[in-house]
Amino acid sequence: MKGSDTLREGRWSTRLLAVYFVLFIIFLYGAMIVMTVLSFNGPEGGVTFPLKGTSFRWWEALYNQDLSGSNADRIRAAGLNSLYLGLVTGAVTGLLALTLSMAFKRRFRLDGVVFFLVLLCLMTPGFLLSLGTSFFWQWMNIRPDLWKTALGTNVVWALPFGFLVMIAVWNRYDDQIEEGARDLGASAVRTFREITLPLVWLGVFGTFLFGFTLSWNEYDRTALFLTGGDVTLPIQIFSLTVVSTIRPDLYALGTGTTGVALLAVGVGVVYALIRLRRRGAGVEAETQVAEELGEVTGTDADRGITAGSDR
Amino acid sequence: MSSSSRPPEQPEAPHLDIGELEEAEQALKQELRTTESALGEKTTSKSKSSLATALLAAPGMLWMTFFLIAPVIFIVLVSFWTPKLGGFEEAWTLDNYDRLFNSSTYWNVLKQSVFNSLIVVGATFVIGFPVAYFLSFKVTNLRNQLALFILALAPFWTSALIRAIAWRGPLMGRNGAINEILLQIGIINEPLDILSFSNFSVVLAMIQLYVLFMITPLFFMLAQVDRSSLEASRDLGANWFQSFREVIVPQIMPGVVIGSIFVFVLSMGEFATVRLVGGNTVGSVGTWVRLEWENLLFPQAAASAVILILVMMVGVLVMLRFANLREDL
Repeated sequence: MKGSDTLREGRWSTRLLAVYFVLFIIFLYGAMIVMTVLSFNGPEGGVTFPLKGTSFRWWEALYNQDLSGSNADRIRAAGLNSLYLGLVTGAVTGLLALTLSMAFKRRFRLDGVVFFLVLLCLMTPGFLLSLGTSFFWQWMNIRPDLWKTALGTNVVWALPFGFLVMIAVWNRYDDQIEEGARDLGASAVRTFREITLPLVWLGVFGTFLFGFTLSWNEYDRTALFLTGGDVTLPIQIFSLTVVSTIRPDLYALGTGTTGVALLAVGVGVVYALIRLRRRGAGVEAETQVAEELGEVTGTDADRGITAGSDR
Repeated sequence: MSSSSRPPEQPEAPHLDIGELEEAEQALKQELRTTESALGEKTTSKSKSSLATALLAAPGMLWMTFFLIAPVIFIVLVSFWTPKLGGFEEAWTLDNYDRLFNSSTYWNVLKQSVFNSLIVVGATFVIGFPVAYFLSFKVTNLRNQLALFILALAPFWTSALIRAIAWRGPLMGRNGAINEILLQIGIINEPLDILSFSNFSVVLAMIQLYVLFMITPLFFMLAQVDRSSLEASRDLGANWFQSFREVIVPQIMPGVVIGSIFVFVLSMGEFATVRLVGGNTVGSVGTWVRLEWENLLFPQAAASAVILILVMMVGVLVMLRFANLREDL
């Protein structure tokens, strides 16, 4: 139904668009591919083509400080900082997105304000956020650091994504199931723990992953106050790029950090697939059919009701 | 979207059931409570449930107040404060703005930023639309559609910083891949310098970074375009272009506006990409503010940032005029 081609433009336009899509993907990935290839350049090789042989020397320079010109120590320190910061950011984002979306779902007096603030999180350029944060903390006379300010601004960046994920989850959530639990005598806390949380857990987990990956890659939002000792990996990468001569170990580092982010996303996707499969193929098929019917009639109410039969 | 109290009735559903009646009842009760509280009366059940809601909302609201609202307010405050050696003191002044209004360099940088951002918005639309159109209209299988969409979206999960570095060095550099290829084919005789550390390369890099923010809303709006109205326009004898203009465009306008706002704001607030890809030859308001900040000219940096914020707000308001988001979404 989705793809019923009502415009009947003929096959050539489809083919043309397909070719265009491939070119577009090359445009998006081109730089990354070239970077990955060059990170395996030979020991004599530089940061541009042609390759002078291949080696793991530049990858080794990431963890072996003894190689000449290696920044291994700084990279390890910054990498660990980023890892811990990302995990905590993910956890905080998951928690805040869950509670905030639950409040939003209850439609209280300030829900418009909540929505506006969440949009503002998304729209405020990271660079301004770190500028303002540096002023604010300077005024409070507190030295900004990883756990006070960087955690704060990174969560602000991840929160809108988590919030939108949770809103999508709640849209498919059936409130009646909670009423049922309460009618059977469960307390509010018990209902939440045994009924609500298992049902929305996948969304919370997705929010955590958003938090981790966004924090892992974040530069702008921490750029203006994390200087000197305790820095994150992106800040370390930036200073390596600007200050010293670039060598292929920077490409190895770039390829490596990208790998970590994509690995995290991959783990999340696999986990989600396993969870969803466990819910039973039959139910899934039924939901899918119901969903498509919902789309035919096109009413949100329909979709909400049929989606409820998911569980 | 931003109305502060809930409408008393739920949208009409085709078949009502007990749950929905109860929901409507709840809604009415809620309305009653709001009215009661407005009149100064309190019921115990109301204070209990609104306490729970407040407790749920509080952590997130506090966090955003502390790490989003306060910083933005402080940019504005500091811009009116007096510079002092290595910092600022709370004495009101307009000097920071006075200095800016007399600096033609700043206005040139601002003009460049606006110009570049508008180009990036236009280019991301032109480049991104066929991709979104292909994914939503030409890929018939839902599974393929999702897979290809994720393939196009995956770069979002790699650092913008890394992508900028990959873009400037190995690809666009004087000895980069593109120059190599062009030399090999014989189109050019010596490396193109325009590709590296130029405004052109900055714009290209930003297009590559932000095109996904345009494609995503376009894709979701195109996927929702009412296929039967398309068919109807076809049956009424419209050619492809006519049905595109009369049927598709009005329906996807909110997506165009959202994508444009995203790309515009992101490019206006850009700093790292400009610095990395443009080197010292290209300026943006971001690099300007950063330079002032590094020289510890904090109130001056704040004033430059406030002007940037105002310009961005004007841009966003202008774009919002092209669609009624509150009604269309």
